[in-house]
Amino acid sequence: MADINKKDLEHLAELSRIELKESEEAKLLKDLEEILNYFKELQELDTENVEPMTGGTDNKNVVREDMPGKTDDTGKAYPARGPGQFPENKGGYLKVPPVF
Amino acid sequence: MAHLHDLTIKKFHEGLLKKDFSALEITQATYDWIEKRDSEIGAYLSLNKDFAIKQAEAADIKIAKNEKVTKLTGIPIALKDNILVEGLPATAGSKILKDYTASYDSTVSKRLKDAGAVILGKTNLDEFAMGSSGENSGFKITKNPKDLERVPGGSSSGSTAAVADHMAVAALGSDTGGSIRQPAAFCGVVGLKPTYGSVSRHGLIALASSLDQIGPLTKTVEDAAILFNEIRGKDDLDATSADVDYSLEDLLNPKLENIKKLKIGIPEEYFIEGLDKGVSAEVERVINDIKSLGLEIKKIRLPHTKYALSCYYIIMPAEASSNLERFDGIRYGTRHKAGSLLDLYRKNREAGFGAEPKRRILLGNFVLSSGYYDAYYSKAQKVRQLIKRDFDEAFKEVDVIATPVTPTRAFKIGEKSADPLEMYLSDIFTIPVNLAGLPALSIPVKKRTGLPVGFQLIGRRFREADILGIGQFYEKLYN
Repeated sequence: MADINKKDLEHLAELSRIELKESEEAKLLKDLEEILNYFKELQELDTENVEPMTGGTDNKNVVREDMPGKTDDTGKAYPARGPGQFPENKGGYLKVPPVF
Repeated sequence: MAHLHDLTIKKFHEGLLKKDFSALEITQATYDWIEKRDSEIGAYLSLNKDFAIKQAEAADIKIAKNEKVTKLTGIPIALKDNILVEGLPATAGSKILKDYTASYDSTVSKRLKDAGAVILGKTNLDEFAMGSSGENSGFKITKNPKDLERVPGGSSSGSTAAVADHMAVAALGSDTGGSIRQPAAFCGVVGLKPTYGSVSRHGLIALASSLDQIGPLTKTVEDAAILFNEIRGKDDLDATSADVDYSLEDLLNPKLENIKKLKIGIPEEYFIEGLDKGVSAEVERVINDIKSLGLEIKKIRLPHTKYALSCYYIIMPAEASSNLERFDGIRYGTRHKAGSLLDLYRKNREAGFGAEPKRRILLGNFVLSSGYYDAYYSKAQKVRQLIKRDFDEAFKEVDVIATPVTPTRAFKIGEKSADPLEMYLSDIFTIPVNLAGLPALSIPVKKRTGLPVGFQLIGRRFREADILGIGQFYEKLYN
């Protein structure tokens, strides 16, 4: 178990695509340290031969046929769907800033 | 016309059939009441007036034409704002989805619409269902209708407050670690967290996919059974939904002779230091009431209970950090101006997420990162198995487990908001149920003194009928 420092936090923020303000960092660091410290109690438990529980269900490999769903066949624009939701829209296409 | 305060799903249905009132009258009266009260409570984020009126009129026409109706026909219902209703806003309480309109119906809203229910509007919640107090919404705080200085609990704060204050006859919430049961206990209403897999999660904005369940918030246990029965069932659009043959007779018309045969377990790990003495005394009284119905009470052990909070606060943020990756302001939601694509992601997520989602995303990515995965995430998955096994063992001896819902009554607004760990501890009795995937019911203690207190009944998987049955007979003791 390791503690978390300012550099770790900045790296995590980078991975999480979250910009952190200097003022947020100190509080977050303190909160995360306390929370991670609380987790140390788990080390008391011997889990050597315990199968991990990997989800909420025992179902395995649930598959189904692809089915055509409901479509907007009125031909009218459907404001809640697709391009209507785009924050920026150019001629029905999604507009994004340059990648590089 | 009936008084809104007296209306339950059952009474509404009976009144509608007897033509004591129309669905339209009740819908309009409910909106009038919302207008009067909600500026103070803050239960709703958006109202659906035009369409709700049409739904109410459709219900009245069905009654007038003597057409077949369901138990939900015309019932005014509120939905937590992380449940999609086509064409209505769905913010999940987050600024990042401020401008989002749902493009499809969740399975539960489709079922409600098909059953003829009237969807009044969307209710406030702690952002992305992360919180236990109703103070974490990106838009406003919800207050406890029983005491406006106190929190209603969370994260289904608005749905619970709406039902508690008669701004809806019933509501749907979602429960990942207690988000239906804890506010229900704080506001004095009934809340059911169904078995994992019994209600489709399709169209629920995901927090932690292996823990989330949608469930009812109602004024009576009987109503919770009715509403649960309408929304449950196998759904091809949710791969974790289960095909279970529920007995309608057991679920909707429980018999005391069957309920009496159930054995109740009382786990000593739930009656610990930190449990408020007043709450403990109220729960003891309920246990005696249940005993008086003829059920056998037995002490049991759930030895890994104390590790549930740590286990949960590793698994839930891990899943949340993955589920919240999609909110980047690219395809929908609110977008901030930025130079490059990378800056756009950072800027949108910085401005769009509040403190709690940020904390949980960072924590989730930490426990999943290389070097820490085994010590945290993998360890937590194994501990989750131990917690589930505790319940498996207990259910060999008893049929239902009775516990408090929360360690204390509703706390004051602002009391715990500075200390996340202190806030997390308020879910200590509800979290194990989600980890194990079990059904659990939060019922208000009757004839209590002071603010509401809840008691929790935990059942075997897919045995909602047992906990709802005991709950219904408990309520009958006080009718």
